Amino acid sequence: MNVLIVEDEKGLALEVDEFLSHEGFTVEHARTKKSASEKIFVNNYDFILLDLGLPDGDGFDLLKMLKGMAEREDAVIILTARGAVDDRVSGLEQGADDYLAKPFSLNELLARMHAITRRKHRLESNDINVKGLKINIQNRTVTYNEERIALTKKEFEIFNYLVLNKNRVISRTNLTEHVWGDVLEINSDSNFVDVHVKNLRKKLSAYIPIDWFETVRSIGYRINI
Amino acid sequence: MKLQVKLALYNTLTKLAIILFTGLLILLSIEKISYNHIELRLEDDEREMLRSLSSKEINRYLANQEKYTDYNILKEEFITITPIKFQPTVTTGNKFTTETRAVDRNDQNDQTYRILTHQFNFNNHSYQLEIGVSITSIEELKSIIKRFTLLTLVIALALTLASDLVFTKFLLAPFYQIIDRKLIKVNDPLNFDYEKVKTTTQDFELLDDSISSLMKKISALFSLEKQFIANVSHELLTPISIISSRLENILLQEELSEASENKMHASLKTLNRLKSIINSLLLISKVENNQYDKADVVMIAGVIMEIQEELEDRMDEKRLTFTNNMKYIYSIMGNRPLMHTLLFNLVNNAIKYNNPKGSITISDELKDDIYILEITDTGLGMDQRQIESAFNRFEKFETDERESYGLGLAIVKSITAFHGIKVKIDSVKGRGTSIYLVFNRE
Repeated sequence: MNVLIVEDEKGLALEVDEFLSHEGFTVEHARTKKSASEKIFVNNYDFILLDLGLPDGDGFDLLKMLKGMAEREDAVIILTARGAVDDRVSGLEQGADDYLAKPFSLNELLARMHAITRRKHRLESNDINVKGLKINIQNRTVTYNEERIALTKKEFEIFNYLVLNKNRVISRTNLTEHVWGDVLEINSDSNFVDVHVKNLRKKLSAYIPIDWFETVRSIGYRINI
Repeated sequence: MKLQVKLALYNTLTKLAIILFTGLLILLSIEKISYNHIELRLEDDEREMLRSLSSKEINRYLANQEKYTDYNILKEEFITITPIKFQPTVTTGNKFTTETRAVDRNDQNDQTYRILTHQFNFNNHSYQLEIGVSITSIEELKSIIKRFTLLTLVIALALTLASDLVFTKFLLAPFYQIIDRKLIKVNDPLNFDYEKVKTTTQDFELLDDSISSLMKKISALFSLEKQFIANVSHELLTPISIISSRLENILLQEELSEASENKMHASLKTLNRLKSIINSLLLISKVENNQYDKADVVMIAGVIMEIQEELEDRMDEKRLTFTNNMKYIYSIMGNRPLMHTLLFNLVNNAIKYNNPKGSITISDELKDDIYILEITDTGLGMDQRQIESAFNRFEKFETDERESYGLGLAIVKSITAFHGIKVKIDSVKGRGTSIYLVFNRE
């Protein structure tokens, strides 16, 4: 899948580029509104990662231009330091598919890109298979042999996020932020999620052995598939 | 005292002084003029009398050294000649006095007379001639004028006071309109009403214009500040974003040793903390700049229940007992996310500074439209000095948790101030803390 990063900060663009390339995306980079609009005009992208504050104008203009073009299905994720609710609302209302406030975690970005892909292609399998457990993203359920495992909302969120970021260590900080959102002035590294993970593991291990659900000491968790 | 009343009072007092002055002047001049007139007549009478006096008459009048009196039937005038002790030289001048006399001994009614006294010598005898004219009618006139003046005074005062009040009220109406519309009702220069207040008074136009231009300046500064905050946040958050992305990318490389991987995660944690501090400061400055609206109906009990659910695991971890004694369904007009942040911070603090197996109690009371929410913990508590500095930015307390940035209560302070909620802290060192939120219905 090809991605256009519209970002004037070269350093950030390079890191996102490196990460997404590693994940198998083809990445292009535009630093100004002008070069971005040229690229958008010429190519179709699966994803456009759009920064709002560009040296020669506002990223919203690019969004408007894109929405004015016929038969475009480029998914737009706005990346910006302007995290105010108003900005988010106007971004989404103008047709962006998602919104991430800087600084964001690359894992979170990837998970959101996956989510958009699933939504867009109405993946037949809303089900993800993990060692015999079936995770249904649409109904937000986990089943084993058609038997539903009773997870709380938070436990499902945690499990889903770890599965989407399989084979990668996800720190508590990262997990907390994803599940609870950007809660101010809480101890990001307190064992905020530990109790939930403990309960989650207990519930899952009642059905199958869960040695693949790994606790990485002092950092976080990883699901190895 | 209101300007309107002051002006009216000043006008009334000056008018009172003028009327009193003229009243006194009229009274005095009436007395003077009429006395003068009477005195002239008396002197005429005296001349007539002295001319007509013959020795024969005097002898007849004053045989046996007796007093001679003559008066008309209405006793409006009288003439007396009284022998007095012989003086070789007598003062020839006339003397005028005002006296009350009963001319007829049988008459009970005293009258007030203007009396001319003249002494003269005749045949080696000294006599005193007195000619009097009744001035009772003048005195009566005086008292009538006095009463009339007093009455006019009172009526004039009442009328001027009333008219002054009405007029100044009309005159000052634009002034109060300016104060009310432009200063009292506006607490945000962005919502300022630049429409001119209708007035023909130049001073008020000047006032109106000055306030408007001042407000323009303030709102320009406000937007500058907002822009500054947005820029600062952008400037700070982007580098953080770059570093954290870089660290995540390094983490993807598999040849990392466990030790360096740990260090990467620790650095990411620090970055996250930095982000949290920036976001907290942004939140505080935005709240203080009134950049949030208060359009939500926030039910306090509902928010508390949500927070309890969200923080349940943290309480379990410390084995805290959470008791919710809330009795009232109370709601305020406010900003829901902010109210959530406020209560979340307070409950979170109650957990953070609690002892293991301690308890947190939430209760409320409603007294005369004043709703009080109380959050009590059995934790470390604070001493007086700590309570006083609790709401200061970056104030830190000794705590096991090293992740505190000292901004939690600063956020609480700005959110409560934004919603007009009063906060009170009661605490005993080592025993626990109670925080009271006093919701004053506007």
